[in-house]
Amino acid sequence: MTPAKKAKKKIEEKIFIPQEKLNEVLERLSKHFRVWVPVLSSSSNGWTVEFRPFTIESEPFFTRQSTMPPKSVILPQGETLFQYEYVKNSDDPSKQDLILKETINAEKTLVFGARPCDVRGFVICDWVFLRGLYLDVYYKSRRENTLFATLVCQDADDACFCSSVGGGPGDMEGSDIRITSTSEGFVLEGLNDRAKEVISLCECDPPSEEQSRDAQRIQEEAKNRIIGSLDVSGSVEAVKGQFQNMGVWRDIAESCLSCGVCTYVCPTCYCFTITDEIQGLKGERLRSWDSCMFHQYTQEASGHNPRPTKLERYRNRLGHKFCYFPLRYGGVIACCGCGRCIRSCPVSIDIRSAVERVKEVHSNACVCS
Amino acid sequence: MWNEITEKLHEVLRNVMPQVDVVLGWERGFNPLRIKPVVVRSEKDISRLVWNPFCVQNLTGYLVKNPAVIAGEGKKVAVCVKGCDSRSLVALIQEHFLDRDRLLIIGVPCQGTIDWRLVMKKIGNTTTVFNAHIEDGILRIEHSGGLEQMSIESVLLRRCLRCAYPNPVIYDVLIGETVTPRIDKSELYRNVAQFEQKSLEERRNFWIDVLSRCVRCYACRNACPLCICQDWCIAERRDPKWVTQRPTIKDIFIFHSIHALHLAGRCTECGECERVCPVGIPVMFIKEKLNEINLRLFSYEAGLDPQAVPPLLTFNPHEAGI
Ligand code: SF4
Ligand code: SF4
Ligand code: SF4
Ligand code: SF4
Ligand code: SF4
Repeated sequence: MTPAKKAKKKIEEKIFIPQEKLNEVLERLSKHFRVWVPVLSSSSNGWTVEFRPFTIESEPFFTRQSTMPPKSVILPQGETLFQYEYVKNSDDPSKQDLILKETINAEKTLVFGARPCDVRGFVICDWVFLRGLYLDVYYKSRRENTLFATLVCQDADDACFCSSVGGGPGDMEGSDIRITSTSEGFVLEGLNDRAKEVISLCECDPPSEEQSRDAQRIQEEAKNRIIGSLDVSGSVEAVKGQFQNMGVWRDIAESCLSCGVCTYVCPTCYCFTITDEIQGLKGERLRSWDSCMFHQYTQEASGHNPRPTKLERYRNRLGHKFCYFPLRYGGVIACCGCGRCIRSCPVSIDIRSAVERVKEVHSNACVCS
Repeated sequence: MWNEITEKLHEVLRNVMPQVDVVLGWERGFNPLRIKPVVVRSEKDISRLVWNPFCVQNLTGYLVKNPAVIAGEGKKVAVCVKGCDSRSLVALIQEHFLDRDRLLIIGVPCQGTIDWRLVMKKIGNTTTVFNAHIEDGILRIEHSGGLEQMSIESVLLRRCLRCAYPNPVIYDVLIGETVTPRIDKSELYRNVAQFEQKSLEERRNFWIDVLSRCVRCYACRNACPLCICQDWCIAERRDPKWVTQRPTIKDIFIFHSIHALHLAGRCTECGECERVCPVGIPVMFIKEKLNEINLRLFSYEAGLDPQAVPPLLTFNPHEAGI
């Protein structure tokens, strides 16, 4: 490659990756980043799609929203906060010293093929981990070292409602690169300075005029599509107003199994528990996913549980997203509308109709009083 | 046909309403493929209930899990059951979790239940489903992308493909005609036998591969009508602590082993544990192996006879076979 050509490549901000070259490009990127891609997981009924670190054998799967969001890239299911070991104090054998070892991880990471809703999940979590009362250094180091190459979404189904909660299939908030999947491959556009390195590492040509036009058309379509029809206005007052009305929560959640599916598939459910996993004198402090749908989540040492049944727990999940979170964080609804909780709920509980129901009951109650 | 059965169900329920004060049934969810359990407490809501091959959930767990659906003084709970669900009821009655006299069991012979994921895979996922119609074993789906037809057999849940008891084994009212089982009892564990042909290494790798995807959401446990420890499951106990929170295969395997062993000789193979798994892990398969051992050692099949005592719930020093 001539130096002149190389210089030209460097400033290229829009490239085209032919379908058949994708793995080659991702392989190249993997030398510089830990690259996560959505893949069909083996040996299930051929449905489950998960984000996994890319290997040359990976077959990235882009035509359906992933079953599990890429949440674990930033918030792993189990994360060692630090390791520790008790050792005898050499000066005073009756005492023990504690040795702590930092384990913070800050690998350069690229998520290739997330969707607008997936990324919005992190934008929402940022309020808690970066912009709230406490700064979470673990989250921060991962977040800062992770880039998102996000698909313009063409795959909405009847559980999606991203447009109802401030997003949309073309929304690029929080993303670094826009991917538009066309019939022959992928048009990539850098959206900020961070993207430049990735784009140049791809070593691809710019799209042809036709490919550009194709991509633009798809982007226009996505921009104009309204996905979902939930009206979230008034949800804060409705949840507050109906908090004690257990009848409405029974109507909504009587069939709930109190399992953790909805929380674990949710890009904006960030609750965790912290445990000391120790064996002998060595151990680690572990942060792992927790779920407000679990009994243990609010179990107090006295034996009392302020959320004794699934009804209070479901109320919390909905309330957190559509009332308490917006109250605390400037009106932000803590749901990206990905529809995963709806799709994966074993008993088909639909958070959209749940919000509508609470609002409806609340507005009727208001008229009467 | 399913509309007729649904109407028949409404009629039956209206007739028995004086005896019962709650009904556990199914209603339509957010699209025609997605049905949800519903608890009906008044006659006017009976019309919400449906019955068709999308009624996948086993409702019997709601009768025992906190807060349990129970009937008022002197009244009964009416519960709708398919063949496999009825076996869960039998098991719960055997173990004295349920009083047979307080139940009004409405059974429907089952032609198999449908896995929405398989249907979506066939029609392409970027669609809105408007209508699903089943006639003569053919499922016709109207969706935003057009019309699609498929045979029911091609979209059944795994549990239904290996079902030997599609007809309720216990009921007060039976709606519809009995059906011929898809497989004979003698073939129940052929998948287990096939799997055991594989080398130890292969089997080990299979389980490591599938179980490593487990996110420990515990839906498999919570959906199981016979997992009755509920909020006191040792998977989450901290004092004493049995299983760590680490998402490693070792810990996941311990959880699943405990789950399976607690169901040994009790599991009625309703397949709920497997159906509800968000990441598609075939967890019932573990229990199938235990049931196969159970059948071989004790000639016992769970959930068939309300009078019988499950082998691991009794102690007989002269047990034949051990
Ligand atoms: S709403 Fe659905 S997914 Fe969530 S805990 Fe209840 S049953 Fe499980
Ligand atoms: S609550 Fe449901 S729809 Fe909203 S972000 Fe979570 S999984 Fe997605
Ligand atoms: S919620 Fe929106 S962005 Fe996410 S998959 Fe559905 S349509 Fe696409
Ligand atoms: S273990 Fe699974 S198949 Fe067995 S009774 Fe429980 S839910 Fe049904
Ligand atoms: S339902 Fe699936 S993911 Fe959840 S705990 Fe059970 S096996 Fe694991």
